[in-house]
Amino acid sequence: MASVSELYDVTWEEMRDKLRKWREENYRNSEQIVDVGEELINEHASKLGDDIWIIYEQVMIAALDCSRDDLAWSCLQELKRQFPGSHRVKRLAGMRLEALERYEDATKLYDSILQDDPTNTAARKRRIAILKAQGKSAEAIRELNEYLEQFVGDQEAWHELSELYINEHDYGKAAFCLEELMMTNPHNHLYCEQYAEVKYTQGGMENLELSRRYFAQALKLNNRNMRALFGLCMSASHIAASPKVSAKVKKDNMKYAAWATAQINRAYQLAGRGTKESKCSVKAVEEMLESMQITMS
Amino acid sequence: MAGPELLLDSSIRMWVVVPIVFITFFVGVVRHYVTQLLHSDKKVELEQVSDSQVLLRSRILRENGKYLPRQSFAMRKHYLNNVETGFFKTVKRKVVAKNPVTDTSMLTDMMKGNLTNVLPMIVIGGWINWAFSGFVTTKVPFPLTLRFKPMLQRGIELLSLDASWVSSASWYFLNVFGLRSMYTLILGQDNAADQSRIMQDQMTGAAMAMPPDPNKAFKSEWEALEIVEHKWALENVEEELMSRDLNFGGFFTREFKSTMF
Repeated sequence: MASVSELYDVTWEEMRDKLRKWREENYRNSEQIVDVGEELINEHASKLGDDIWIIYEQVMIAALDCSRDDLAWSCLQELKRQFPGSHRVKRLAGMRLEALERYEDATKLYDSILQDDPTNTAARKRRIAILKAQGKSAEAIRELNEYLEQFVGDQEAWHELSELYINEHDYGKAAFCLEELMMTNPHNHLYCEQYAEVKYTQGGMENLELSRRYFAQALKLNNRNMRALFGLCMSASHIAASPKVSAKVKKDNMKYAAWATAQINRAYQLAGRGTKESKCSVKAVEEMLESMQITMS
Repeated sequence: MAGPELLLDSSIRMWVVVPIVFITFFVGVVRHYVTQLLHSDKKVELEQVSDSQVLLRSRILRENGKYLPRQSFAMRKHYLNNVETGFFKTVKRKVVAKNPVTDTSMLTDMMKGNLTNVLPMIVIGGWINWAFSGFVTTKVPFPLTLRFKPMLQRGIELLSLDASWVSSASWYFLNVFGLRSMYTLILGQDNAADQSRIMQDQMTGAAMAMPPDPNKAFKSEWEALEIVEHKWALENVEEELMSRDLNFGGFFTREFKSTMF
């Protein structure tokens, strides 16, 4: 098997920088991390210096994802040898137990970390992840709520909670969590869009209006968010098609829906220049939008 | 009025200016490592962390609340500020007065801080004053008033000398503060050799970490939140959005590379 450096013709520094980029931007491309990281550890360990420890951690988590228990074990041993008694390493040991589905042992380990240091957020979050893996979503939701009562600022946790609520179809509470995220990150168009989708799913005239506004906000923040554009079109046409609205509201919403439709067409024209498959999709989109117009008026 | 330009011996440059720079720099680096060795982890209380996060959330609610629907904003404001059941009104924390004299951990911290920062500065400053005194070292590029003369021209008893000409002691102090960016380059951010940052921390210390009196912080946050009104930013979002065509930019024109490198 050719090594990564041969296949892509890169030096070890480039590989190390790539790993750092993946680490800082929170990528989860575990197979690639394992390939690149394994080679770095085996061939270039001496040149890495102190960087190697964080690479061990990164590669170990990726190895757990890919079921490479041998690699995970060796990384863990190195880290244990270098940092005995460290909570961070203990958490990695717990994650390995989780990967082997030894959930009770993992929970005991995390509890011991928390006894030592009650402010350790990583151990708490792993406990919740164990509950989620075991399918006990009600308990996971309960523990996550308790966690968030103490650590109100943890955005990752809010997002996880919103996902759990969506799975339980509790859209009201999911919307609350997404509002927290929108509040702390007002310029992130993805949170706006997700919030709008939850509101749209909840249904009801007020929620549809809210969802239309937040789809528009997501589009304002990022003009290229196609999902938000479709969402805007659908929510506006839904409001317009409802029999209970006043004439003015109906007219406004039809205007919005028409504008959104025109933009969608424009986008597909731009995308469809050239390739034959995209010409078919342009046609499909046009037909879909026309059928929506017919049901509306 | 610029005085006559003095011509300094170039051996001053070689044997005074440059060595002082080196000395200051190396002492700073040594100080950084010594501080790291003596550094003891500060134990944070769970309650402290939790409280500081709640205060942060309240502040964000005040600043960004306008992006939330009116109902949601009202709900959060009510939870925090309500006269009977609000968080800021009902939660009272026990205040443990941290007396610096009796609280042992703070005492040792203060002592360590003094030892590693102030002591070397005094020692080296004094040594430089003794070793490199009696002559002019350098000229600062901007004019100074005569009031600076006794401060910057220690050891030089010339009445008519321009205050811009300074002695080696002031060159040393200039270095202590000037090498800060060099330390950041070499030792990375957050290094312990950074004296001016330490002084800044002592001044603004209460603002950053959890103030010793959470009750006061809660009260001031309650007042700030009371006066905030909800002005919805999304009032006319559709009109603003649809005033012009969407800008798809180069979104659809290029091929995205999907390989590793």
